[in-house]
Amino acid sequence: MTYETAEVTEATGETVPATGLAAGRVAHKAGGRLIVDGITLTPRPGTTLGLLGPNGSGKSTLLRLLSGVLAPASGVVTLDGTPLPRLGRRETARRLAVVDQHASTQVELTVREVVALGRVPHRRPWSATTAADERAVEDALDRTSLTDRAGQSWHTLSGGERQRAHIARALAQAPRELLLDEPTNHLDIQHQLDLLNLIASLPVTTVIALHDLNLAAMFCDEILVLKEGRAYAHGTPAEVITERLIAEVYGVRARVTPAADPTDPLDHPSVRFLRSPPFPGPAGS
Amino acid sequence: MSTGRTAAPDAVRSDGPGDVRLDDPGGVRRRLRDRLRTALLTLAGLAVLFLSLAFAITLGPADISVPDVWSAVAAHLGWGEAELTPIRDGIVWNLRMPRTVLAAVCGAGLAVCGVVLQSLLRNPLADPFVLGVSSGASTGAVAVVVLGVGGGVLTVSAGAFIGAVLSFSLVLFLSHTLGDTADRVILSGVAAMQLFSALTSFVVLTAADAETTRGVLFWLLGSLSGAAWTDVWMCAAVLFVALAVCLLHARALDAFAFGQDAAATLGVHVARVRLILLCTTALLTAALVSSAGAIGFVGLVLPHAARAVVGAGHPRLLPVTALAGAVFLIWVDTLARTVLDPQEVPVGVVTSLIGVPAFVVVLYRTRKTT
Repeated sequence: MTYETAEVTEATGETVPATGLAAGRVAHKAGGRLIVDGITLTPRPGTTLGLLGPNGSGKSTLLRLLSGVLAPASGVVTLDGTPLPRLGRRETARRLAVVDQHASTQVELTVREVVALGRVPHRRPWSATTAADERAVEDALDRTSLTDRAGQSWHTLSGGERQRAHIARALAQAPRELLLDEPTNHLDIQHQLDLLNLIASLPVTTVIALHDLNLAAMFCDEILVLKEGRAYAHGTPAEVITERLIAEVYGVRARVTPAADPTDPLDHPSVRFLRSPPFPGPAGS
Repeated sequence: MSTGRTAAPDAVRSDGPGDVRLDDPGGVRRRLRDRLRTALLTLAGLAVLFLSLAFAITLGPADISVPDVWSAVAAHLGWGEAELTPIRDGIVWNLRMPRTVLAAVCGAGLAVCGVVLQSLLRNPLADPFVLGVSSGASTGAVAVVVLGVGGGVLTVSAGAFIGAVLSFSLVLFLSHTLGDTADRVILSGVAAMQLFSALTSFVVLTAADAETTRGVLFWLLGSLSGAAWTDVWMCAAVLFVALAVCLLHARALDAFAFGQDAAATLGVHVARVRLILLCTTALLTAALVSSAGAIGFVGLVLPHAARAVVGAGHPRLLPVTALAGAVFLIWVDTLARTVLDPQEVPVGVVTSLIGVPAFVVVLYRTRKTT
């Protein structure tokens, strides 16, 4: 039962890594309250980092800070060592893509048009579609198995297909970093697993906010647990997902079964929740 | 590889980079077809526009033919000898021509404003008038005409322009202090519209005599009857600059489909683009309203019609909507000045009669999709 506390992760945030996405002590205030309070994270390139935490713990805000949509009140988000504001919106969008929780539109668009939005940061005004744009769109449609739906209206898609279309759009951006905010919400279990399998198989650095502890344990290489805007725990699923942590962060009782074979990368701990009144628990560390 | 299969876990793991459809490598054929279609549509649109201009000018009490129109235009552009009598030439060149061209410019401009505002504010009912610009312009013009504000130095157009900019500033200020979301901009527009309409009514009812009231009312309802070449040039110049600015931001407008945050993550400077485009549409509307009064619903109806034909991509949608708006208003104005001949119906009345049912249809359709 070892996990790093917020203080420990903060101490490592002094130097900014020169490769990939990194956040150094980012904070965000809203209504006088700290929504995100000094979070440092440096996902290893090519891996999947899961963000866990109860509602209002700051997962979505942290993702918005990482994408540069929100400017941090303090701290810095960098890509290859360059702070996002210095990199510029367009350059950022050429390598970092975002899939939101419930992105919807009233505009009548085909699936291909939605995916082609991913090429916006790669194109100059007035310029026509290039073969590279076309290839990126077809490739993204193919990876998400949406090629057959390409000509269809976006509004005719099911919830799972819409999320896949958004992921295809993100892939068309040709990103090296992918941020996802609870992409599996409202999907049935098969579509949840399909979607996360797809995401985990992508050769990009992924930061993904999830609600489901079991899915996080299955698909994430590392997990960062947030509580009240602070980093509460950070480590591999086996290190982080423990009965004590679940009680402390979520206030519920659970049984955690460790991976049967700790050397198998596809094995993972699993969580079983227990019916009980809320566990009082200590107030955190 | 995995083309056409549903997402089984192993199917989506395939990561062959060049996985495009073999029957159309790189989508070359589709791209060519798209460009051809756009070119043909634009050419057809331009042809319809010029034919509409020529035919609309021939309609009216004086008997004018298309060749007459052509020879008058040629004579004035220095391409040929004047063949018409001075009176007939005057009817073509000084009365019907500026009016019809102004109708085209206003139709195009209002429709473009509609496209931009609907996309920017993510509201299918947005229209230049929602911003309250037309009400502000009306108040400015009425202040000049009725109250004599400006001491004879300010023209009606200048007054309208100042009023439009003032009301737009109010809308921007209100929406900014209220949180700057899409619905706040629209609500601020509604508030500004009510305020300036009330001011206009107050001025007209307390200060104007019956004759002035009649003139102001006609203008308030939207009318192209007073069109002069100076109006045409001013509006056309503003239209071309505004259209160029909008086309420059066409892809950014595409990116707004899924909201401001999504646009931001697609590399769009949301605040900057919004400010540029809102200012552009407001200034364009002000120019049009100062020349032709408050012609409503063109900006609401035409974008939806154009989207149904060419889809939602703005690089194509903007020019097509402009063409459609131009042709639409040419014919609506022709209808307005001929249907009750010799009396004239303000063109704004006719656009409202067409626009209100269309408004209901748009409302009904968005009710179904959400």
